[in-house]
Amino acid sequence: MTNPEKQDHGAGMIRQEPELSPISLLEAIRRHGRVWGDLAAQYGVTNPDPPWKVNLEATCDALSAEACALPLLERRAEEDELSASLYSDVPFPERQLLALAHSMIIRGLVDEEELGRRMKEIYRRLTSV
Amino acid sequence: MSDKHSKDEHGHRPPAPMVDEVSDFEVLEMAVRELAIEKGLFSAEDHRRWTEYVHTLGPLPAARLVAKAWLDPEYKKLAVTDGVKASLDVGVDWINSPPTNFGTPSDYCNLRVLEDTPKVKHVVVCTLCSCYPRPILGQSPEWYRTPNYRRRLVRWPRQVLAEFGLQLPPDVDIRVADSNQKTRYIVLPVRPAGTEGWTEDQLAEIVTRDCLIGVAVPKPGVTANAKRPVHPAVHPVQHGH
Repeated sequence: MTNPEKQDHGAGMIRQEPELSPISLLEAIRRHGRVWGDLAAQYGVTNPDPPWKVNLEATCDALSAEACALPLLERRAEEDELSASLYSDVPFPERQLLALAHSMIIRGLVDEEELGRRMKEIYRRLTSV
Repeated sequence: MSDKHSKDEHGHRPPAPMVDEVSDFEVLEMAVRELAIEKGLFSAEDHRRWTEYVHTLGPLPAARLVAKAWLDPEYKKLAVTDGVKASLDVGVDWINSPPTNFGTPSDYCNLRVLEDTPKVKHVVVCTLCSCYPRPILGQSPEWYRTPNYRRRLVRWPRQVLAEFGLQLPPDVDIRVADSNQKTRYIVLPVRPAGTEGWTEDQLAEIVTRDCLIGVAVPKPGVTANAKRPVHPAVHPVQHGH
C-alpha cells in the first residue's frame, strides 16, 4: 500500500509506508521461533549475540550498498515502525531480522511462499546428518 | 582440577558449550541471504566482503585514539582538528578501506572527535536512524538504535545521562552531537585522576564504548560497559510526518 503523497522523491524513488499487516510466515516465526537469549541460557553459551548476526549485518549493508535494493534509511525507518508494533515483543537482533524480511516481502524483493519453501529446504539441509 | 581431568579422552580440552539446535531465526537469516543472492540483489562475493568487514569492527581503535591523545598533546591536537587523519595512527582508514574503498554509504568519511573539558560534556546520538562511527567504534548497541534514546537525549540530555548513571553538576554544559550520513562522532573524554604514569594499553582499557558515545566517563578499574535497559518509545514512530 502506498501513499500517493509520498511517492515522488525525485530520481524515480518511491517511498513506501511499511505494510503493518502481519505476514503469516513471519508471524509463525515470531510466535514459535526460539530467540538467542533463550538458547544461549539453555546451552550455557555466553556469547551475547547469535552467530548469524554478523551475516545479517552484512546482508543489510549489501542490500543498501550494492544494487541499492533496500536503502539503509528506508530499512531503518521501517525497522523502527515494525519494532514498535508487530515485533514489539521480539528481542534484538531477532526483530531486526524479522523487520528486514518484512521489508523485503512487502517490496516484492522476495516472495513469502518461496521464502517459506527455502526455509524448509535449509532446515532439512542443516538437520540431515 | 588436574590436567588429566580437564582434558577429554582424546587429550583435548573440552570444547566451549555451543547451541546444539537449529532455530527458525537462524534458518530465516540464511534463506533471506540465499534468495537475495539468487535474485541478484547482491553477489555471494559482495556478501563475503561485507561479512569480513563487519567481523573487523570493534571499539578498540577508538579507545586507542583516546589513549594516545591523552598521552601526546600533539596527537590530541590532530585528533580534534582532523579525526580522519588521526584515525590512520590507530589503523582506521576512513577513505580508502574495504569494502568499498571510498567509505561506505552508512559510514562515510568525516569523523569528528569531540573533546570534553571539566565544564563541557559531549554525547552522541543519531536522531534520524542509528548512524554510528562503525569503522572506529564497531556496531552500535541496541539502546543507541531505539527511538526512546534518540528522541529523549536531544530533549533532556541531563536526565538521560543520569539514567545511564552519569550525574553531571549543573555547571557542566552538555552538548549533543547528532550524527548523519556524512559525519560521525566520538567523544574524547577527560582523562580521569588516578591514571598518572599509565601506559597507552592501560589507558585504552578504561575507554569503553559507552565513554566514546559519551554516556559514561572513564574510571580506573572500569573496563566494561554496564548493561542498559531498553525502553520502548511511548508514542508510535511515524517517519516522514
